[in-house]
Amino acid sequence: MAVTSAAPVRASLRARRARDRVGKAVLYVLLAALLIVVLLPFLWMLSSSLKDNVDVLTVPVQWIPKDWVWTNYRDIWSRIPLAGYISNSAILAVTITFLQVLTGSFAAYGFSKVRFPGRDALFLAYIATIAVPWQAYMIPQYVMMQHAHLTNTFWSLILLQAFGAFGVFLMRQYYMTIPDELTEAARIDGLNDYGIWARIVLPLSKPALASLALLTFVNTWNDYMGPFIYLSSNNLWTVQLGLRQFIGQYEADYAMIMTGSVISILPILVIFLAGQRYFIAGIATSGLKG
Amino acid sequence: MKRLTRTLAAVAGVAAAALALAGCAGSAGSSDSSSGGKTLTIAVWDYAETPEFKALFDAFHAANPDITIKPVDVPNAADYESKVTTMLAGGDSTDIITVKNLTDYSGYVAKNQLLSLDDVEKKLPADKLAGLDSYKYKGDYYALPYRTDFSVLFYNKTMFKDAGLADPENLTWDEFAADAAKLTKGSGSSKVYGAYIHTWNSLVQGIAAAQNGKDLTNPSYGYLKDQYDLMLKMQKAGDIIDFGDATSQSLAYQTVFETGQAAMVPMGTWLIAPLLADENAGKTNVDWGIAPLPQIESGQPIVTDGGPTGFGINKASKNVDLAKKFIEFAASEKGAEAVASIGIVPSYSSDTITQKYFSLKGMPQDALSKKAFAPDKVVPDLPVNPNSAAVNTVLNEEHQLIMTGSKSVDAGIKEMEQRVKSEALNQ
Amino acid sequence: MTSLAEPGTRAAEPAGAPPDRHRNGQRMRRGALRRRSTLVGWSFILPNFLGFALFTLVPVVAAFLLSFMNWDAYNPPTWAGVHNFVRMLNDQSFWVALENTALYALGHVPITLALSLLLALLLNKKLKGIAFFRVAIFFPYISSLVAVAIVWNLLFNPSSGPINQFLHLIGITNPPGWTASTTWALPAVIITSVWKDMGYYMVLFLAGLQAIPQEYYEAASVDGANGWQKFWNVTVPSLRPTTFFVLVMLSISSFKVFDLIFVMTGGGPGRATLVLSQLIYQDGILNGQFGYASAISLALFLIVLVITVFQFRLQQRREN
Repeated sequence: MAVTSAAPVRASLRARRARDRVGKAVLYVLLAALLIVVLLPFLWMLSSSLKDNVDVLTVPVQWIPKDWVWTNYRDIWSRIPLAGYISNSAILAVTITFLQVLTGSFAAYGFSKVRFPGRDALFLAYIATIAVPWQAYMIPQYVMMQHAHLTNTFWSLILLQAFGAFGVFLMRQYYMTIPDELTEAARIDGLNDYGIWARIVLPLSKPALASLALLTFVNTWNDYMGPFIYLSSNNLWTVQLGLRQFIGQYEADYAMIMTGSVISILPILVIFLAGQRYFIAGIATSGLKG
Repeated sequence: MKRLTRTLAAVAGVAAAALALAGCAGSAGSSDSSSGGKTLTIAVWDYAETPEFKALFDAFHAANPDITIKPVDVPNAADYESKVTTMLAGGDSTDIITVKNLTDYSGYVAKNQLLSLDDVEKKLPADKLAGLDSYKYKGDYYALPYRTDFSVLFYNKTMFKDAGLADPENLTWDEFAADAAKLTKGSGSSKVYGAYIHTWNSLVQGIAAAQNGKDLTNPSYGYLKDQYDLMLKMQKAGDIIDFGDATSQSLAYQTVFETGQAAMVPMGTWLIAPLLADENAGKTNVDWGIAPLPQIESGQPIVTDGGPTGFGINKASKNVDLAKKFIEFAASEKGAEAVASIGIVPSYSSDTITQKYFSLKGMPQDALSKKAFAPDKVVPDLPVNPNSAAVNTVLNEEHQLIMTGSKSVDAGIKEMEQRVKSEALNQ
Repeated sequence: MTSLAEPGTRAAEPAGAPPDRHRNGQRMRRGALRRRSTLVGWSFILPNFLGFALFTLVPVVAAFLLSFMNWDAYNPPTWAGVHNFVRMLNDQSFWVALENTALYALGHVPITLALSLLLALLLNKKLKGIAFFRVAIFFPYISSLVAVAIVWNLLFNPSSGPINQFLHLIGITNPPGWTASTTWALPAVIITSVWKDMGYYMVLFLAGLQAIPQEYYEAASVDGANGWQKFWNVTVPSLRPTTFFVLVMLSISSFKVFDLIFVMTGGGPGRATLVLSQLIYQDGILNGQFGYASAISLALFLIVLVITVFQFRLQQRREN
């Protein structure tokens, strides 16, 4: 900013600060309003988890429980082996997320920074399979797994979900934004492609890695149909399967489902809070200039 | 970067270790075989929350200590059929498949997936097994029943007394509507309805077909008109809970009945077991009874809709003899005792079993309830037919349109006939 | 196929950066280089590709072959030729589901895209408690599907739900029947799914915003650009690869939509919210007609493919 005299600068700075404060206030009000709309169903979940089952589905909606049934949070652990389900979910989600992020970002480098014939056709095949609904090929997939004797093991789910095209696509799009001069410069400095991936590209893509990890984790954690089709032994079940036990053939215990759902959200919450610091404005770009 | 690499390595290590000890949820009831004997696998839904399976398996194990039963547990009853289809398509060798309803049964037999059980059937007292006939397909039996449910009218005795009405004995549907009008009172959230017709299409179509002696897989549905007209009239008068509201509230009929939101609920006998359980757990104090389902005309035999739940043997089973032994047991008096002890209506009927059933804690003891327990004729909603799943899809869609008022009764019935013909039967 | 390449390769580069790729001279060297880079490229892709090809690509191809057969999942398939496709074109339910799916996508894609971008811009700030707000927006996505379906159904309850009570309050005497009405069920489902998905795509946009070098904004400030101009001239072009990704994923997932609608309305009332994926599930898994279900999947696949290729081309044209 090319300014010559000091006084107007100060005045305009003050004015801007005042404007910022007003802007911030407006922003907070806006966010608070948004918060109510967005969190409403969650609040309902929370309140239902503290009710008797008969009080859950009432109209008009009962936002504050008539009687606070705190015992739901104690009883659920003995009604179903929830702790075991949580650790099963965790094993699956961590393994799948780890493999997806690793192989996805690795493949994305090949698709965005290395040129070779057939690359784009291959990439299109990747994207195209995303367009096929799972309901269409879940039976052929299952038949394969059955022949490999992998049904009713975690391996089946890991192999199915860890190599998804989604992660490759996401990371590729992100790598596209990393200027080629950066990788070329590294090449001139004597790094080979693997070195460039590990030392230059990976550190620069922390926000994308964090979002891929977060989304993969959440999708695996909340997946119902996959574990439902592949896992038949109760001791392998995940949280989402375990909670469905409360939906019987003729009736459903919604209070318990909500109690379990609230508990099952907590791990995701921790992951989100841990990962979201990579979304703080400014930190990721520091590596680009230098 | 080093730190990131280290973190990744650590995560990989932990994951690998965890996989090695995979399977952390201590088995919730599944009896893992340990004692060198023979093992029989049975596909069931929601083992931990469906006590009839455990009761039956335990009784069988007590009678045959050398045979251990291992449930193949499907967590959600609603998706049971999808899972079984997938398993069988993959060549799964689970010995016994629990046959949840006749529509599923139609699918299995049409695809030639179950073994014939004729030899077992010959050893059973056919006259005592309710619902056995429904399993007959081209002269053979491919499943045998252990429980048979049918529709009855659940009613709230207190509300009938308060309204000065006689117990709903031998009602016609018109009398049912008249009673419902008298029982309806209040408004807003404290409104009490005369009746609640749950959102299932079987509660209108299945019952009407059974009582008119018709077959829903035959696309000619003129006889449904009267029942629909009656339901819509009651809905318009506000004597039954509105269909749209019930759907959007995912209304649970058990809750509606237990909390006294409705005085009469036509429903299957499966509602008895959870009612008894809630009563004994102190969750409800509703004073209830069961009455025969209302009929088209008075003075006629009591006709109701219903059907069996049973077991069939997977074609790929390697323990056929053991499996037959279990199925025979489940259909016998001993099996009946086991399921009756937890409030489930067994297929095998005898005076002893009925007595045992009514001696359960909390069971109503009046003569009307006992009469309701022995209808003259139980007819399946949909007979065994390879197309019944597809037929039911169409019938249910049109049912929703009629009940939400999106279509007139006549238009809906006409559409049902056309669509069942062209889409489900491929005529 | 090569022409489909390069969506947004240079998006983040300041306009006019010199192309620096084809710097090598001799042909002989180029051939060797090409072989080397093929090898290197495949070595990067292979770990993922092995798993992907074996466990996704093969079953998908198998499913497509099935569309030319009759198969009930139990007995060996028999050849059916184009019978399944002829049947599909004459199946009223197919056209109903196709229309519903298209309408759903037309509502869901633009609204979700706009809202999630807006939210990301709003939350890409250094503010006290911003982490809390970000989690909150993401919450709908992680809430249990059963809970989401129940609570929105309650909110949409035609006679005594909060939404219609509010509409009454502001003077609308005959509010829509939402999930109980054939006209309003689809909008109700779209509203719910937008609400559920916007946090998910916001996360992607947030990551994309992080990739924009701060220097670009500083340079724009020097040029005297105001906030709006910075948005149009810096944020939008730099965000293009992310926007493209979100648009493609959003379109694909809209055409494949299943879970939420299945638990919320089950396709009803009637067929008012029946979508293609549910039809595939119904005809395949429930009615045991896998050949026919596969034919519908193939049709759905081709539709999505055309849309995706179109999006790729559009993106590419914009780049040039």
